[in-house]
Amino acid sequence: MNTQDNLKRHPGEETGQDLNVLALVCNWCTYTAADLAGVTRLKYPTQVKLIRFMCTGMIDVRYILRCFLEGADGVFIGGCHPGDCHYLSGNLKARVRIKGLRPVLEMAGIPEQRLRLSWIGASEGKKLQEELTGFTSEVRKLGPASFRQMHLV
Amino acid sequence: MVMNNQEPHVGVYICHCGQNIAGKVDVQDVARFAKNLEHVALARHYQFMCSDQGQEMIISDVVNNGLNRVVVASCSPRMHLPTFARACSRAGLNPYMLQMSNIREGSAWVSLDGKQATRKARALVAAAVSRVQKHRPLTTRKIGVNKSLLVIGGGIAGMQAALTAAESGFPVTLVEKEASIGGQMAKLDKTFPTLDCAACIGTPKMVEVAQNPDINLLTHSEVKEINGFVGNYTVTILKKPRYVLHERCTGCGECAGVCPVTVPSEWNEGLGSRTAIYRSFPQAVPGTFCIDKKDRAPCTGACPAGVNIQGYVQLIGQGKYREALELIRERLPLPGVLGRVCPHPCESNCRRTDVDSAVSIRALKRFAADNASVDPAAPEVERPEKVAVIGSGPAGLAAACFLRRQGFQITIYESAEHLGGMMRTGIPDFRLPPDVLDAEIELILKTGIEARTSQSFGQDFTLDSLRSENFSAVFLAIGAQGGTGLGLKDEGCSGVMDAVGFLREANLGRRPDVGGRVVVVGGGNVAMDAARMALRLGAREVTVVYRRSEEEMPAHAEEIEAARQEGVKFSHLTQPCRYILENGCVTGLECLSTSLGSPDASGRRRPEPVADSEHVYHADTIITAVGQRILAPWASAVPELEWTPKGTIWVDEQTLQTSIPWIFAAGDAVSGPATVVQAVAGARRAAEAISRYLDKKEPALDMQPENPRPEKNWNPLPKDVKPLQRALPGQLEPQIATQGFQEVEKTLDVEAAQLEAGRCLNCAVCSECMQCVNACEREAIDHGMQAEEIQVDVGGIILATGYELYNPEPLTQYGYGLLDEVYTSLQFERLNNATGPTQGQILTRDGRTPEKVGIIHCVGSRDKNHKDYCSRVCCMYSLKFAHLIRERTGAEVYSFYIDMRTPGKNYEEFYNRIQAEGVHLIRGRVAQVTDVPDNPEDAGRLLVVAENTLSGKVLRIPVDMVILSPAMIPAAGSTETARLAGVSTDSHGWLTELHPKLAPVSTQSSGVFVAGCCQGPKDIPDTVAQASAAAGEAVALLSKGWVSTLAERAVIDQDICSGCGICTQVCPYGAASILPEKRTALINEALCRGCGSCSASCPSKASTVQQFSSRQIFSEISGLLKAAGS
Repeated sequence: MNTQDNLKRHPGEETGQDLNVLALVCNWCTYTAADLAGVTRLKYPTQVKLIRFMCTGMIDVRYILRCFLEGADGVFIGGCHPGDCHYLSGNLKARVRIKGLRPVLEMAGIPEQRLRLSWIGASEGKKLQEELTGFTSEVRKLGPASFRQMHLV
Repeated sequence: MVMNNQEPHVGVYICHCGQNIAGKVDVQDVARFAKNLEHVALARHYQFMCSDQGQEMIISDVVNNGLNRVVVASCSPRMHLPTFARACSRAGLNPYMLQMSNIREGSAWVSLDGKQATRKARALVAAAVSRVQKHRPLTTRKIGVNKSLLVIGGGIAGMQAALTAAESGFPVTLVEKEASIGGQMAKLDKTFPTLDCAACIGTPKMVEVAQNPDINLLTHSEVKEINGFVGNYTVTILKKPRYVLHERCTGCGECAGVCPVTVPSEWNEGLGSRTAIYRSFPQAVPGTFCIDKKDRAPCTGACPAGVNIQGYVQLIGQGKYREALELIRERLPLPGVLGRVCPHPCESNCRRTDVDSAVSIRALKRFAADNASVDPAAPEVERPEKVAVIGSGPAGLAAACFLRRQGFQITIYESAEHLGGMMRTGIPDFRLPPDVLDAEIELILKTGIEARTSQSFGQDFTLDSLRSENFSAVFLAIGAQGGTGLGLKDEGCSGVMDAVGFLREANLGRRPDVGGRVVVVGGGNVAMDAARMALRLGAREVTVVYRRSEEEMPAHAEEIEAARQEGVKFSHLTQPCRYILENGCVTGLECLSTSLGSPDASGRRRPEPVADSEHVYHADTIITAVGQRILAPWASAVPELEWTPKGTIWVDEQTLQTSIPWIFAAGDAVSGPATVVQAVAGARRAAEAISRYLDKKEPALDMQPENPRPEKNWNPLPKDVKPLQRALPGQLEPQIATQGFQEVEKTLDVEAAQLEAGRCLNCAVCSECMQCVNACEREAIDHGMQAEEIQVDVGGIILATGYELYNPEPLTQYGYGLLDEVYTSLQFERLNNATGPTQGQILTRDGRTPEKVGIIHCVGSRDKNHKDYCSRVCCMYSLKFAHLIRERTGAEVYSFYIDMRTPGKNYEEFYNRIQAEGVHLIRGRVAQVTDVPDNPEDAGRLLVVAENTLSGKVLRIPVDMVILSPAMIPAAGSTETARLAGVSTDSHGWLTELHPKLAPVSTQSSGVFVAGCCQGPKDIPDTVAQASAAAGEAVALLSKGWVSTLAERAVIDQDICSGCGICTQVCPYGAASILPEKRTALINEALCRGCGSCSASCPSKASTVQQFSSRQIFSEISGLLKAAGS
């Protein structure tokens, strides 16, 4: 994928109508990788904003739903590679929860492509850049979402 | 302290971080934006918020302007959260009333465009402002720290760290997976740039470690599990068995002198060999020897009798034939017999087949039996109990032998005139000469066994008579002595006989007249024996008739081949249907052709007769070899003895005890017709059961199935093993063989046997031949030693798991593994080392002193196809090699480098010195190393082809030796160990430090530190410095003596909790439990690590991780999205 292309301006950005991608990430791996991406000056779309958690295992599905309901166009979850969880298996619990959430999203009319779970290790700044850039461009293809008005729960 | 119900007054501080943030983000704009957010009392921006002045600004605002919440928008909270939390504390504000907004790594540094970066920074600040309003004051507690340390890895880093900590007064447990500490450094000869002798500076450290009373040294051990948290770790350590008692071993080395097994020496990087019982090098610490045992060898695993095959094969290889024979006789009292007739399942499982073909194990067994003699003594202890053994076949003789060894009084009853059972009457003399059998029976009886022949059970003696003679137990091994017919009409006519009866007659010297034409019906080994015997009795034409194809024949391939060689004809797919008689005498056999249908219960394809295919074989004698029966005319007199539906004696599977408690049985009478070795195996088991029975062990027979060692982890197949022809014993010419009853197969000669034993690959490494046990005067060797798991409690952990070399084989252009004279750097270190395979002489494999040597830098490192990093030490040690080679051999040295990297104290000076010594330093990557030289006079040399990139010329340099400097990679298993300690690794497997500059020995797991090459390639001085630093950090933690509990931990709202218990199931630390009296959940504060599994799983949302409550997260989400949308 072409990072530069994804970083260029898109219509609606100036007026604040551009995409919102929230990344709910683990402190020990993906957040660390994001810091590494920063230190090494790797660019990724500014539409992505990170929320730091101690572990993907503490991410309640309500948080993901709330992101969509408050206007997020895509939600990215970044956790440790299986076997690397700082708390043994929180990442695997997250995987199970997200698997269970997908049909619920579909039922609510939220395409499941708007939710991505990735494993990004602490040293994988480059992977973080690629994943976030790729995910943003995929969400961009789906267009802006309009779940803000939905009364899902 | 701020009250919860106070209106939020938020102070927002935007950091410029010099130009790091302000260069991209419009900090003034963000401050203006923040000022207008709800509940924001003030918003400021400042050049360096982390500076004293910045922190003072916050303190002053809290004190003077009544702020009760603080947002700092600067760098990552992973960097400065503690800094600003301390500032809040100093201002009297609870440190958890702070939220950081990461606008440096999170915006300024990752955004291309200033406007976008500013917009993002606004959103991040808005989110933090929104979130911090939901923050609540939190408190922590102090927890004590266990004042001891664990160091994993006993190389120079681990030793240095352990010594530093121990000298500070803290007890250290040092765990090393190898048998000796010292690590890679102990393998080196000299060290750059000072050319200190590695042993001279390394071994004193090793001794110091071993002698330090505060260091608990655990070698040959591995960390299996790490539980707990900073200051309070519980570590499970597996102490692998050494099989040598540390307290007794004096390190004299007598054991290694007698060990028959040699394998490549890991210590010498495969250049030399070591024995199975070994000490890597004379200066090893501890100096205790160690036995290398892998899983049980596949041959021994396949042997029904469990004979230690690898053991006796190795002993034969050493010329210790008597010892080999003794080892065989331990489990097989009939080695001469089995060396001739065993169907050798061991050979089918031999791993040598992966190289060429199986070792001729049976021939070696026979060789031992034929070339050595033993003199078994009577048992040391005599026991009064009497045991009767009925039957003197292999089961009876073996059981008698095993029981007699335990001191019991044994009497063998045999119905025939001579002992031996089927071995005498069933197996023809040309396969098993009677004198061999007689000699072996003689040896068994010699230990004090009484044999009564011509005694038939039921006639000459009975169970009652045995009782009255005070026998305490009976072993019934009556075999399957009856033959069976085809079940056709006229079965009993003259000229038709069963093979069992025929062979008995023939073997007992009553040579029956078979006429000129003989037909043998059947496809088993007995049929082959009968056919070959018929030839020797004068038959001109012998035909074996079998109803399936040759593939399905149960006879062993070599028996079929032997019969064919001697002229036996085969008629497969032929089924007898009628005897043809003339005057009551048989003259022929009418048969039908068959074709094979679907497989039957035995898995073999069922023969189906073809209609109208009748044809006749003319015969003077027809021998039926289609099965054996158990003959027990006495059965009706012993009604208590139970039989199986197959007509065999019923026994308990484990104990081989029959339905009559004092009677045990084994052999063909239990299993149906089987092999000699299976009979011996059954006898061994029964003997063990009888012995337990007589010992009155209650429950007498609690034997478990034999639990063999797993069979998978074997000595790896050596790479350089050359295929060799398998030794085949000589055979008598068929024309001569069929003229008489002389033994057909010959024994191996000494030379062939030695060669053959040398083909064994020593799958189990230690062959358990027990030669070392006999050699050790201190009785220090214990082959039964078991692995042991221990637990230690420590406060901190230092990982020093080290490095190894990248295998250069994939870089085929350099020929490593293909060309003999291409070495790795560590191999050269050993070659050059006084304790190495050449005692420090630099010699080629064929013993020449090299005249020209090539050294290739950056093999696999700085290479995108392999490892893209620089391994840091290779330039320097390559220069050291060049110097040592020049000094010791005077050879010309060509060193091929990409860039010369000499960053270190006195390193550049060393480089200059080597240049001045006349070493050819050539800048250019080597294209190829080949053994095809340009000039005929260089035959036998290697040719190094490279471009000198400074002169632009292609060089083709003939050399005698090439040394590769491969990339350093993390030691095998270091990732797994890092995971146990909660430390992550980078894409190459190097352990990740907390911060590359400011926390180079700490890790993200608080209380876990890294030292040495496990964190990345480095030289010895850096390693030692880093190890001291890691020890310093660890000592700081231990001396402080406490750590605080996490504020970010789970709490349960007791008013909401329904007591469902899901939290107790998801908590990985067992911190959640249900209070029985209230039926609600409670989290143990000390155990909770704050992962939040419980809070995300809690159906009633009673569980919350403090500082990560859903209210806080929701506020952060809406803060982010509202700002972005505004």
